[in-house]
Amino acid sequence: MTFSRRRATSPSGNVASKSGTGGYGSPVPFLIPAFLIVFAVLIFPIVFSFVVSLFDWPLSAGGGARRFVGAGNYVELVKDKEFWNSLRLQLGFIFIAIPIEIALGLGAALLLNREFRGGRVVRALILLPVFFLPIVSGMTWRFMLQPRYGALNNFLLSLGAPEITWLGDPTFAYAAVIVQDVWRMWPFVFMLLYAGLVGIPADILEAAEIDGATSTKRLTKIILPLLYPTILTALLLRIIDALRVFSEVYVMTEGGPGMATTLFSLYTHRQAFGYMKVGMSSAMAIFLLAISILFAVTLVRKNMSLEKLEEQGENR
Amino acid sequence: MRLATRKKIITAAVAVFALAVLAVELYPIAITLLNGFRRDIVILSGQKLSLKQFTGASYALVFENRQLMQAMRNSVVVGLLSTALSVGVGAMAAYGLTRFKFRGKNALAYSFLVFRMLPQMSLVVSLYLMFRTVGIRDTIFGITLAHSSFNVPYVIWMLIPFFTVVDKSYEEAAMVDGCSRWGMFRLIFLPLAAPGLVVAAVFAFINSWNEFLYALILTGVNARTAPVAISSLIGGDTLTWGQMCAASTVMLIPVFVFTIGMQKFLIRGVAAGGVKG
Repeated sequence: MTFSRRRATSPSGNVASKSGTGGYGSPVPFLIPAFLIVFAVLIFPIVFSFVVSLFDWPLSAGGGARRFVGAGNYVELVKDKEFWNSLRLQLGFIFIAIPIEIALGLGAALLLNREFRGGRVVRALILLPVFFLPIVSGMTWRFMLQPRYGALNNFLLSLGAPEITWLGDPTFAYAAVIVQDVWRMWPFVFMLLYAGLVGIPADILEAAEIDGATSTKRLTKIILPLLYPTILTALLLRIIDALRVFSEVYVMTEGGPGMATTLFSLYTHRQAFGYMKVGMSSAMAIFLLAISILFAVTLVRKNMSLEKLEEQGENR
Repeated sequence: MRLATRKKIITAAVAVFALAVLAVELYPIAITLLNGFRRDIVILSGQKLSLKQFTGASYALVFENRQLMQAMRNSVVVGLLSTALSVGVGAMAAYGLTRFKFRGKNALAYSFLVFRMLPQMSLVVSLYLMFRTVGIRDTIFGITLAHSSFNVPYVIWMLIPFFTVVDKSYEEAAMVDGCSRWGMFRLIFLPLAAPGLVVAAVFAFINSWNEFLYALILTGVNARTAPVAISSLIGGDTLTWGQMCAASTVMLIPVFVFTIGMQKFLIRGVAAGGVKG
């Protein structure tokens, strides 16, 4: 994985974990504290979530009348039109936003992978949106899209266009949520892919050039194949991230107008804290969890095995 | 010669393109920074931006807003506590995962990584029920613990490479001298991995600083953190955009300062799932 720019040779040979002291002492005391925390705030909540998903469980403080319903919540979800709506919006969000982000990130990485004055500053500044707080991003976009005083309408009005209530229109609001995400996250893809490009040894490209390979050939036969693992990593990271999108949309549109931007997490939230149906919400949570684990395991197995991490350390 | 001219033209075109992209990418950020210096009334009336409007009034309102200031303090406290907890615990675990041989080591490392990537929405409802039952909802302790759920796996992931580079001869020498495992960890690994600890700590702090969903659900008036407090400046009839932008700018300062200072480690830090609300 090309998180760190690899050097051609490892500076200190094969040091690190193949140590002769590996069998000395016990790792248990070192692992126990982390395990306890992970158990308390991750493993137990997951199991508990699954248990709750089998109950008709109202939110009210006293616990109310809990009733075991087995797979009832899941069955009800399948019959729930709003559930399918949120799933459709979620998938649409992923399938529209992420390809654009990858395309922009790849394009910019290829274009900016050359020396020009101020290049370093430009590459650093492009990354700033990635570090914009998600909720601040959501609110700023909400601000820019306001009908009377928002920046976008001010601009359009000056061109003579009619005033549009962007976030009051289902289609525009959904598009705005996607644009916000693309704006903020394509530089993230750019950052990963640029690091990957820089990691491609220059002599390979020079040799191809001397052998008469055109720039298109160099791109399709050398650069893209070598960059492929990085692209895949970026894609998986973005999918995992997009699956849990919540805060920026929540502050930008609150899921509205109507249900037009109620993505999966927003509907899960609404089930629990709007409709007070904790059991239904937990069923959705388990569904989302299963999908996320699937992608996370794929990513970890491909790119983040312990050996890869250790290798990164050695090549650092 | 002609090739050189062509190259020059391409480079110039790329530079122009880069500046255009930059303008688009920085525009919303500029909006936030600039509007923090305008009054809400000026913003709402739709006046064109002019230097005459610039004032510190919105900042003054933000700093006088006791609830908001309380939330900012909470954010700092929760960020520091959660960082300290996760770096302490995470460093031990990273050491345990890299410098020992035992069965199931890979599986354990895998699961820590997978845990980092689970959606918060999947956990927050049951955390809410649990915290309410135990009575730690809306406490600094509770939200700190919740933030550790993503920070502990994150720190482990960040630190593993830093621990693997430590030369084994140090350990062997220490073992010969009868040094315990704990002694090795404290006297050899912590000092040698210090840069890694700093990087992990910075990102853990930012993770906590930016976090919204847990804070929204698991806190109330007492332990509310800044992102939730800021988001409540907008909504319904309250449209205090100037204050929202001023408060957001205050929130953004540490993030931008840290990340610009950490250029070298940004990619690893972000890919590990940093800077996600």
